[in-house]
Formats: sequence, structure tokens, C-alpha cells
Amino acid sequence: MHEIRIAEDLSAIVLDAARNGNLSKVTKINISFGQLIQIVPEVFEFAFRVTVRNTVAEDSELSIEIVKIRMYCKNCGNEFQVKDNLFACSNCSSTDLEIRNGKELFIKSIEGDQVWK
Amino acid sequence: MEIKIMKNILDRNQNKANEVRTLLASKKIVMVNIISSPGAGKTTLLERTCEKLGTKFKLGVIEGDITTDRDAQRLVKYDIPIVVINTEGGCHLDSNSISKVLDSFDLDNLDILFVENVGNLICPSQFDLGETFKLAIVSTTEGDDKPAKYPMLFRESRAVILNKIDLMPYTNFNYKSFRDDLTKINATVPLMEVSLTRGDGLDKWYEWITEQIISPDNLH
Repeated sequence: MHEIRIAEDLSAIVLDAARNGNLSKVTKINISFGQLIQIVPEVFEFAFRVTVRNTVAEDSELSIEIVKIRMYCKNCGNEFQVKDNLFACSNCSSTDLEIRNGKELFIKSIEGDQVWK
Repeated sequence: MEIKIMKNILDRNQNKANEVRTLLASKKIVMVNIISSPGAGKTTLLERTCEKLGTKFKLGVIEGDITTDRDAQRLVKYDIPIVVINTEGGCHLDSNSISKVLDSFDLDNLDILFVENVGNLICPSQFDLGETFKLAIVSTTEGDDKPAKYPMLFRESRAVILNKIDLMPYTNFNYKSFRDDLTKINATVPLMEVSLTRGDGLDKWYEWITEQIISPDNLH
């Protein structure tokens, strides 16, 4: 259900950027979500549609990239992808790790048509 | 045309959380964000903690509740400052709601502020409140699969409490499976096994939380 709040914050950012960039229509929104965030894309899409109703982003396409969980091992310097919830270095088994990817809730860009002047 | 944005969608929440964290650090207050399913034992943990440590330390509580003040009512008798935040259906607290109610506390007269988040294992773990750390509570009656299903919470919590161990014989809770999953996700996280109603294992919790209150690492 956190999808709703995240969708609201996303639409505020999108509409702000569209206004500043003089877009008459937003056609595409490029975002990435880390796997750890556990966003359900269908729920997110639904929530987002509600928040952009009757705006320039009404018909935009949401392009959601799901980012896999990657950790950095502070013991041996290895960077690896977490599989099956196993947060231990794939090289040395150390659990002294730092997260590199997987917690993203990130907007990369928007695409659209500019107001013709 | 494409407009680059490159920013965290929850920027607003994050900025406010950073403000809260800075303010609490300047007042040397530890804030604990307690996260669990409904009924796992968040309020009971606070009752036990108030009974045991209420005279030793200056405690405060923020109760996140969807519509009622029933949790707060249970704590009134301990004579500590309590503020209720009703989320009106919202599934989590956010840093803005915390920031707003901090004014209601005498921050110069507080050692530790417990935030009882809304009962939910996913949403609250995504919203930084500006807490010093998160604490996860899970109970044996919920089943042993919670760490595997909600890895982010168990990965990010500084400690995990397993409650209702006295009921374990009456459930199909598989302790080994729970322990193995938790170790995979967060090998070094302290696990405290307790019965909050009967009192088993609580000395370990009092000792641990006392360490957190007085630890200089938590106070800057």
C-alpha cells in the first residue's frame, strides 16, 4: 500500500519537471525500483494513474526498471548480486557488507512534447 | 524531448528525516522505530519497558495508529509523554508527521523516544522517520516465514525480538527455519526471544535497550 504515497510523490516531481521544462504532454517516465523495496508494479501503476488524472502526464507510459540487490564486501572487495536472500559474500562468505543496489526509488527522466511557441 | 531528473522519489521524506535526525542528535535523544505486524507485541513491549525503565530513564512514545488511541490508552498509567498520530487509513508513518509532533515533547527532558509504527511489515520499512535505528518484532503465531518474505525490514533492523515463545508448542512455527532465514539475511543481528506477557527473556531486552540509550555511538 506504500505504492500510493510513492506514486503521489512521483507525480508531484513529474508535474513540476514538466512545468519547468514547458512540456505540454508527458509521454514517458523512466524510473527504477530496487528489489528490496517490494513495489508491486501493477499496484503502483494503478496508484500513479489516479494521481495524474487530468494532468499533462495523464497518458504517460511508466517505464519501471527493477534493480537487483547488489552488495559490496568490505572484507575482500567483491561486489556480488544477492540471490535467495543470502546476504553473505559470494567470494569469502563475510557478512560485513555495504549495499550498492536494491533500495532504489529513483526517477531518472521524463520524456514529452514541448509547448510550441 | 527528454528531461533528466535523477532523484530519489521520496526526497521530501528523506530531507525531513535528515532534519529530525539532526535535531534529535543535538538533544542527545535516541529514537527507536518499532515495526511489526498487527498484534505482534509492539504496545506490550512498551508496557513492559515503561514498567522496568520508566523511572530510570526519561521515556517518550509516539503512537502511530490508524484511527484509535487504544494503544496510547494502555500506556497512560505510566505517566510518560505520549503523542498519538492517526494516519487515517495510511499504512505507515512518515518523517513529516514525526517532525510535526516533536514540538509536543520537552526535548531537553527525554532520553529515548519510542515510535510505534503502524502494524505492517512492508510500508513502514521504506520510510525513514529520522530514527536512530529500527527494531523488528515478530511473534511465533505469525509463522516462521516473516524474514524470508520481508527481507528489507530484517536486513535494516538493529535488533529483532521474537515474541510469544511460550506459545511455540501450540503453533507450527519452525524455529530452525526462522533462525536460518534470519541468519542468511542479517547474520549479526541480535535476536531476543521473549514472552512479553509471561516475562521470559526480558532481562536481555532491558539490558540491550539500556546499552542503546547510554551508548555514545547513538548520541551524535
